[in-house]
Amino acid sequence: MSSGKCRQIVGLILLASLACTTLSCSVVSSNELYFGNPVPPKRNILRYVSGDEPASLDPAISDGQPEARLYMALYEGLVEYDAKTLAPRPALAERWHINNDSSEFTFHLRRNGRWSNGDPIDANDFVYSFRRALAKETASHNVSQTLYLKYAQAYNEQQVFVRDPKTGQFLLARDFNESLPPDPLSGTPIDEAKPEYLPDANEPHSDPDTAFHRQMHSPMRLTLPGTEKARTKLLDAAPKLKAAVAGKELVPVKAEDLGVEAVDNYTLRISLHQSGPFFLGLLAHQVFRIVPRKVVEKYGAAWTQPDHIVTCGPFKLKTWIPYDKLVLERDPMYWDAATVKLDELHFYPIIDNHTVMNMYKVGELDAVYNHAVPNPWLHVLKDKKDYMDAVEAAIDYLVMNTTRPPLNDVRVRKAFNLSIDKKAYAAWRQIVKPLTAFTPEGIFAGYPQPKGPAFDPPAARRLLGEAGYPVNQNADGSFSCPTFPVAEVEFIYNTQGANRSVAEWMQAQWKQNLGITVPLRNMEWKTYLEQRSKLQYKGFSRGAWGADYMDPFTFLSLFYIGGRSDTGWLDPKYIAMLDEANRTLDHKKRYELLAKAEAYMLDQQPIIPIDTASVNWLKKPYVKGMYPNAASLFPWKYVYIERDQSKWDFGTPSLAAD
Amino acid sequence: MLRFIVRRLLITIPTILVVITLTWGLIKLAPGNFYSGERPLSAAVENNIREKYGLDKPWYQQYGKTMWSIIGRLDFGTSLRYEGQSVNSIIRRSLPVSATIGILAYALALVVGITVGSIAALKQNSKWDYASMAVAMLGISVPNFVLGPILVLIFSLTLYWVPPSRWNGFPSRNLILPVLTLSVVYMAYIARLTRAGMLEVLGSDYIRTARAKGLSEKDVVIRHALRGGLMPVISYTGPALAFLLTGTVVVERIFALPGLGNYFIQASLNRDEPLIIGIVAFIAITLLLMNLLVDIAYAFLDPRVRYQ
Repeated sequence: MSSGKCRQIVGLILLASLACTTLSCSVVSSNELYFGNPVPPKRNILRYVSGDEPASLDPAISDGQPEARLYMALYEGLVEYDAKTLAPRPALAERWHINNDSSEFTFHLRRNGRWSNGDPIDANDFVYSFRRALAKETASHNVSQTLYLKYAQAYNEQQVFVRDPKTGQFLLARDFNESLPPDPLSGTPIDEAKPEYLPDANEPHSDPDTAFHRQMHSPMRLTLPGTEKARTKLLDAAPKLKAAVAGKELVPVKAEDLGVEAVDNYTLRISLHQSGPFFLGLLAHQVFRIVPRKVVEKYGAAWTQPDHIVTCGPFKLKTWIPYDKLVLERDPMYWDAATVKLDELHFYPIIDNHTVMNMYKVGELDAVYNHAVPNPWLHVLKDKKDYMDAVEAAIDYLVMNTTRPPLNDVRVRKAFNLSIDKKAYAAWRQIVKPLTAFTPEGIFAGYPQPKGPAFDPPAARRLLGEAGYPVNQNADGSFSCPTFPVAEVEFIYNTQGANRSVAEWMQAQWKQNLGITVPLRNMEWKTYLEQRSKLQYKGFSRGAWGADYMDPFTFLSLFYIGGRSDTGWLDPKYIAMLDEANRTLDHKKRYELLAKAEAYMLDQQPIIPIDTASVNWLKKPYVKGMYPNAASLFPWKYVYIERDQSKWDFGTPSLAAD
Repeated sequence: MLRFIVRRLLITIPTILVVITLTWGLIKLAPGNFYSGERPLSAAVENNIREKYGLDKPWYQQYGKTMWSIIGRLDFGTSLRYEGQSVNSIIRRSLPVSATIGILAYALALVVGITVGSIAALKQNSKWDYASMAVAMLGISVPNFVLGPILVLIFSLTLYWVPPSRWNGFPSRNLILPVLTLSVVYMAYIARLTRAGMLEVLGSDYIRTARAKGLSEKDVVIRHALRGGLMPVISYTGPALAFLLTGTVVVERIFALPGLGNYFIQASLNRDEPLIIGIVAFIAITLLLMNLLVDIAYAFLDPRVRYQ
């Protein structure tokens, strides 16, 4: 290439890059109050991005948050999340009462509930939907949310009861496992003298007793694996059990055994196998929203296709073009249609957050989902008046593989925790809050959240020394730990967003304070999940967790039976502490016991808490009735477009209850 | 000619089967599965899901079922990630989006590229030649994930002339930026190919003959030089068009278009086996057919190919 040509090209490139820089500066440094000029849409619609294309429109199956928001428009359950506090509010259930140890819940349904095809909704719809969600064939991802229902796990895993053919009596679980906690009130025979419910002035008549109710009110039956192979394995390990089961008949656990009952057409009773003070809040979860039996049975998996779908929420499906848009329109059949303010709700499935930001700026979106603002945009956007600055019921933490040396030593785990300056980390990330516990900071009012130890590098070095890895100070003031087996640890993370810089930040902290350079390894998302869930990683990994309901137990249960923390840490003592807390009727006392359990877990240090997340999203000032609540779940019927500029939001709307 | 086409078509079938088998094997080897997510599932739930989708069966049964359904019924099955949506319906729905963008982009690239390339060749070593080839070089060098956002920044976020993203049917203003982003690199390639082809042809004997027999310069260029000079462009068109028709990951992602490329990348990230196989097979078929079409076009444009 001639030199003249070369110079021309260089000139052109310089010119182009100069133009781009000038342009981007003019865009970025604008002093506008809002990001993009706020102009309300001409029609009464809300255009929203909830994340990726929904996996399914079936609320029982998918467990994602993008889907959860969609289901809140399409389906309703017994209760609905409050727009600000997320506390359970009446939805298809008008009122309810809870027995004295929160193990039995009776709901009175409203009589005007209707499906979008006009059919009435009654208690049988709930019984059907709950049973379906737990059926093995449904293969729901949400089963863990429903396991508190009596015999839910046994039904989902197709287990069997053991019955004595002569007497017709079932073997009881307690007889073979003495460590089981005592049965809750819902599992003890009904005692007329000791009423299970507190007297209620509004409800003078108690709900009718039924044969099923009495059956529920009996001690938990023994259940065994449904397959021959698993059963034989279990019985061979327990000779006493094997002898007791010999000669007895095995009765499969059926849908009818599940702890949910239509007492009459408008009364629903739910029995749990344990105390669940948090359970009412959990009932707003997508898996407890109802699906139309007739349509599901007629069309099978295709029931959610636009031609067939029947819903029960404030909105119904109008058009669905996958990866393009989902348009929902107000459902005139909805029992509270008068409250619904928007005519239409548009969901655009978009994966790329930069694209989301572009669309928001030019006014093609009215609100975006949580965490949609990419890191590099934050320094400009976080000061805008349409930026939602609120704390999220979600935490970021580091997961440690406690099953492999050297991190199987709690002192080593503690040393790595003590040597991270979380305050500096939070300042660097701009929008998060430093965290030393496993429950998010400032979310659960009245919860005496335990505080983990503060940043303390000398203590960390001391602990490492005690564990057999002395840390030496070098002449230049830096540290080194030559005996630490660096080859045995690494930090794995998935290649996405800020994960890389976060991993590098942690690496730098450990290098600076302990003299240990932990190798970093990035991997593709699914590969990373596989390594983490099978405990194939050595050392550290990142973790994030968001609340499913507004109770500390939603975080603490990650280390409970059925939960999976990917750390390999499962401690019977911790589980017993949680059980004890959940059996405690007094709310304050229960919180104290939960906090005690949390403190115990933190002391065992299977994880390193990092931060409480921030909701981090944008909403045009004219979008009202939509609040930056802690789980970014919105009861859509209250959302509206305000055309009077004087009533627009200026800054993050308050979450204080009205 | 007919025999040639039939023979080529027959070779296509085993090629596709090999492609499908390899894809199937690679997916099985990849770590992770379609149902894993940040929220861990219990072993029992995992079992339920595996059973529902037949993943608990031995590998040869799974392979046999997949192949039988594809060969016997041309049915690629149902997506694992998108509950209840058949792969065939996803391809049917997303192909028109990708094809619209792809064909428009290539048409634009052909018009601009051939014009610019021809001018550059006819005015070789002039400032027109240098300027156009410099711009072409720039077009080739700037990747579309850089160009796309820059175009959005200028024309959507600053000037507010066109929408920054999303599909809005054909025709619509939403098409302008993705088509432009996609076509620039092809435009540049075609311009360079045309220029090189034309230069070669313009110096050949038959052009001299054409000139000698007194044809006007216009006739020489359009009827003789261009026809010969476009041969490299034609052979480039086959794979390029196949690639464009079946979707382009980056552009579809930046502009949030519901095309095949978008599905392809999501399917791979989601480990959505039937969808991956369906799209790979579809791309393979398109690519093979396009190459066949190019060979046929060659035969029409260049008599020497026909007589061999």
